Order: sequence, then structure tokens, then C-alpha cells
Amino acid sequence: MADPTADFLRDYQALARQLWDAWTRQLQQSAAPQNPFQQSAGTTPSTNDTLERTLDGLKGYLDWMQGTTATPAAPGADWQQQMQQWFGGANQPFVQAFAGIDSTGAQGFGRQWQEWLQAMQRAGFGAGSAPAAPTPVFGMDREQQMQQQALAQAVLASAQATARYQTLLQRASAQGMQRLQDKLAQHAEPGRQIESLKALYDLWVDASEEAYAEIALTDEFRAAYGEMVNTQMQVRQLQQKYTEALCLQLGIPTRSEVASLGKRLQAVRRELRARDDAVATAVGEIDALRRELAALERRAGEKVAAKPARKTGVAGGSARKSATPARKPVASGRKVVAVPRPRPRVKAVAGTRQATAKAAGRKPISGPKTRATDTTHTPSRKRK
Amino acid sequence: MYTPLRIDPTRALGEITTFQRKLAAGMGHLRGMHEPEYANTPRELVYSEDKLKVWHFTGHTTPTAKTPLLIVYALVNTVWMTDLQADRSLVRNLLEQGEDVYLIDWGYPDGADRWLALDDYINGYIDRCVDVVRARHHLDAINLLGICQGGAFSLCYTALHADKVKNLITMVTPVDFHTPDNMLSSWCREMDVDLFVDTMGNVPAGLMNYVYLTLKPVRLNQQKYIGMVDILDQPVELENFLRMERWIFDSPDQAGEAFREFIKDFYQDNKLVKGTLTIGGQPVDLGMITQPVLNIFAEQDHLVPPDASRALGKHVGTADYTQLAFKGGHIGIYVSSRAQREVPPAIHQWLRARS
Repeated sequence: MADPTADFLRDYQALARQLWDAWTRQLQQSAAPQNPFQQSAGTTPSTNDTLERTLDGLKGYLDWMQGTTATPAAPGADWQQQMQQWFGGANQPFVQAFAGIDSTGAQGFGRQWQEWLQAMQRAGFGAGSAPAAPTPVFGMDREQQMQQQALAQAVLASAQATARYQTLLQRASAQGMQRLQDKLAQHAEPGRQIESLKALYDLWVDASEEAYAEIALTDEFRAAYGEMVNTQMQVRQLQQKYTEALCLQLGIPTRSEVASLGKRLQAVRRELRARDDAVATAVGEIDALRRELAALERRAGEKVAAKPARKTGVAGGSARKSATPARKPVASGRKVVAVPRPRPRVKAVAGTRQATAKAAGRKPISGPKTRATDTTHTPSRKRK
Repeated sequence: MYTPLRIDPTRALGEITTFQRKLAAGMGHLRGMHEPEYANTPRELVYSEDKLKVWHFTGHTTPTAKTPLLIVYALVNTVWMTDLQADRSLVRNLLEQGEDVYLIDWGYPDGADRWLALDDYINGYIDRCVDVVRARHHLDAINLLGICQGGAFSLCYTALHADKVKNLITMVTPVDFHTPDNMLSSWCREMDVDLFVDTMGNVPAGLMNYVYLTLKPVRLNQQKYIGMVDILDQPVELENFLRMERWIFDSPDQAGEAFREFIKDFYQDNKLVKGTLTIGGQPVDLGMITQPVLNIFAEQDHLVPPDASRALGKHVGTADYTQLAFKGGHIGIYVSSRAQREVPPAIHQWLRARS
């Protein structure tokens, strides 16, 4: 005998599924880039990617809501058992939420690894044929076979580590369920009951996140996370070595070589900057010495000018004369030396200026105006 | 005894139908939406080097502040969180307060930047940017505002170049990386970061995004989008949502070498607070920071726990230390309505008192 309620629910779900599929198709088509290169051309994620994430998130929620209608809560039924049906098994929104994070804009370890491995396999590289356990190898292909064995073991270790990590996620999901039941128990009184799917979902989110955060901060999770990342990197590194060996045989430049060049280039850039700074330091010292000499020259000129003035009794003339003494030869000790005016530095390189300032032992100067007012201070160690 | 669930099946079906109807109705809005623009507050380029740019925000009024403020953002995500949209813009609000604002835009590192180390960023890039701003204003020292990882960089920079920084502001900045509630720190503690960087080279932005999303997997990857359905028929709100999505996922890769050093020295070894950190061979001693410091952190920050920021007060050498706890999260501190009301005025008043 047909059950009208069950038939209705079945029909409704079928209709909802059709609606969702149609909606998704339409939305994705409208957002699909016209230019096939559009998506990879820029760094900005496309609208399509936003939609992909949105749809993934919404789909999990819709699936869950529809799942609840398939097993509606019967009056007087055990609500805890009901929760297990609604949030457990293949209908787990937690697992769906986690799996749905992978998209163009956010690629997890799993997705990055899978895509990369698939690309390697398409290119003819792989670990599929190698034995999982190490076995003695002989002959001309010995090295290659050893590499393949190491790779196969690394793949196995990575899969095991990922499984341990997934187990912890499952545990977080289960503990989230327990927390949800604890939270729901606080609603078992009139006026506080949960009356909508959305309210139940929000409560479940709170419970799930709390349980997840608790597990995610444990030492066990930390170790599992580290192991998952490290084993995956081990696989990738072995594959890279394998690929590079082949590239070397074919005369194709390898990533290691490019990285090595980049490293050297950066070292050269640092050296160049250091030398620029050293040159600026030297220029700064010369500038400072010139200023010091100019000051000495000025003082010497004042003394020279002051002597005849005292003899002849002309007062005040020396000060005016000493205002422009720099270009004229002046007596400095026993020798008469010509001191050129300090040349203004026109290259406004901030780092150079700073280095100059440091070398001169004074406070850093910031621009022509400041430099013009900065006069004669030079540390004694620089004068040696 | 009552059951906590009182979900009527008919009502549940109605809920699902309503949800689908909203989706269908909102489809038209989504379809017609273009990539939302950031605020794009008027600015001029004053310096560039490699992929880095220094922007000077021009604003509509002449700044009243005598000392310019240089914002040092994190290497993760883009700097445009500080100028997200017209009514949610830290830089625009600071300009309106009278500050003269500069910003370091790190750009998008690629393979050529793989070997940039923290020394290159802090004693190289930041130092040259600071010198440019100092030179433009003929000043010995300027004000620094470091954000998140950029705050950690600013602390290192100030400790190493104290004479060039007049006042230092740190926002949501991790200082103690080993507080027990720091999930990111916990996760990377067992990572073999040498193997990681040697294998990956630069760290892909997609992977960084994934890690951030897994901090709160259901909330950030499912519940958020379910909430979006309610605003599908509100074009302005929807545009704001999509703009934030753009910012979250439009992020740069991380230069491998700098990433290696940052994870090892900061996250794994917590050297900043242990006093054992060196950058470019020079020891970084937070005790050397004697200029005024304003430390702003978010009380509900899931990326940089408040205690990780609060620790600065114990280690910094200044006698003029101010702490500001913001009621919000790591992103809300820039874009929430409360943030617009509270944060820029607090920064401006604090700076004005020390001008």
C-alpha cells in the first residue's frame, strides 16, 4: 500500500534536486569566462571561483536540509537518535564543509598533491609500478629502481599520514555531534525549543567549530598535521628529483638550476647594495672631511686676517673677510693649500644617504635642506 | 519532559522552499555583478622597487599632522584591506582625521623573489621606503603603523633603526607566537619548513588561503555562504560581500626564503620574545624600542590571539606604552562599523598627543 507522505517527500526531493541542478548549471554557464585564457591570465580570482565556493557551501547545506526531510522527526521519537541520522553518515555537513574548501582560490594539501600527481602521471612519471616494500635491486637500472622504491614508500607514508589526519577530522565531527546534543539538551523546555532547520544548523556549526578547535589545538593534531605536510613534501621532492634526472638526460634546464641561479642573483644584488653603501660611506667621509677642511681654512683665514688687523688697529674687518674664504689659498700650518668647495651630491638615493650619514657618525639626514644645515661634525675615529 | 526539537515537517519543507526561492531570485543579481572595486582613495606613487610600491594618499584635505604615517602591511593578503571600500577604509578615515598617510604595497612575488629574506624586507625594502618618506618631509624620523605580520616587521625595524621611527603603532600584531590558543602556530610547529620551502619554492597563495579557511572550516566555508543567500536581493550588501571575497582570495604567493625564516624564527622558535632573533646578523631587542608605542589588538581575533599581541607590553623598552583592545575580529578591526568609529580617531589622538 502506498504511503502518501513518503511519496510526497520522494517527489519533493526529486524536484528539489532538479531545481538545484538547473540552477547550478545556469549560474555556472553565465559566469563561465568567454575567453578560455581569462582565468589564468590574472591573479584575481574570477567570479566563477567565487560561485564555485558559494555553490559548494550551499550544496552541503541543501543536501543536509533535504536529508532531514527524508527522515522527519516523529513525535515522541528519540531526538538524540534523530540527530545521529541528520548529521551522521554520508550526510555529514562537517566533512562536506571541509572537502568544499578546495577551490581555485584555496587549494589544500590534498588537492595540490592530487593535481600535481595527476600531472606527473599524465607525463609518464609515476610510482604505480614500484613495489611498496624495499627489495634488493641489481643491474643497470639499479639507481632508477631505488628511486622508484623510495618514491613508492614515500607515497605510502603520505597516504598513511593523510589517513591519520582524516581520522582526527572524523573525531572532531563526532565530538561536534556530542556537543550539539549537549547544547540541545539546554533547549529541552518550552520557549527554548529549536523550531527551524536553520536554527538547528547554526547550533550545529557552533558545536562543530568548538569541537574542532579543541582537537586542532592538541599535540596529537599538531603531530598529525606536521606528518601530513612533511610526508607529502617528501613525495614531491622525490618526484622532483626523479623528473630532474630525466631532464638532465634530455638537456632540459631543471628547477634546481633555476633556483640556484636565483639564489646567486639575489646574493649579487645584496653585494651590489653593500658596495653602493660602501661607496656612499666613502663619499660621505670625503664630504665630511671637506667640510672640516673648509672650517679649518675659515678659522685659519680668520687668524691670518686678525693678525694684521690687530697690528693696524682695524676692528671688524676680519669677520666680513672670513665670510668667503673658501676658494682662496689660505695658510694652513706651514703649507698653503687650495681647498675646493664641497661638491653637492645630486644622486638622491635614500639608502646611500643613510649610509653616508651613518658613516659620518651623525644623525641621518633626510634631504638637501637638512644636509645644507648640517656642517662639521665628524667623529674622531673617521678622521684617523 | 520536552524534546529540544520542535521542527514541524511542513515548516521544514517550507524553509527549504524559501531558501531555494531566494537563491533563484538572487541569481539575477549575482549574474549581473562585476568584480567589485576597492575604495581606491586618491593616491600617488612616490617610490617603487622590484614589485614593491609606496603610495601616498592625497585625500581631499591638507594633512594637519606634522609627521607622516607609513603603513607596513603583512606579506599575506593584499594591502587593500586598509582601503577596502569608501565607507570602510582605514586610510580614508586617517586622512579625514588629518594624518598624512603612506602605504607599502608589496605586490605579488614570483619566482624571481624566491630568495628574498627577512633581511631584504626589513633592512632593505622597509628601510628604503622609510628613507623615501623621511626625505620627502625632511624629517629624521616618521611614524610607523605595522599591521599583523607587518607589525612584527615594524617592531624589528624599529629595534634596528630606532632613530628613524618617531612613534610606533602595531595592529593585530603577533609578538608571542607560543600562546596556547594560537592554532596557526601549533600547526606549523612540527612542520619541516626547510623541506617545505625547498620543495615548494614560493608558497602558493591558494595553500595559504586553504590553511586560513581550515581555522574555522564550517563557519568560513559553509555558514558564510548560507548567510549570503539572505542578502542576494540587497545589491549593496551583496557587493560588499563579493568585495570581501575578492580580498580574501586575491592574495600573493609568499617569497620562499622569507617564509622559511618567519616560520622558523617567529612561529617555531618564538625568538622575538626570547630575545634571540637576528635579522641580517643584527640582534633584534624589543627593549631597544624606547619611542612611544600604541598596540591595538582584536579581542575576537582567531588568527592572532589577543594574548599574542598583549605580550608586547612586557617586552618593549618604552615608558610610553598604550594598549587598545578592540571588540571585534582580525578583519573586523578594519571593516566593521565600530572600527570606523573607534580605531582611526584613537590612532590620530594618540599621535597628536605625541606630535
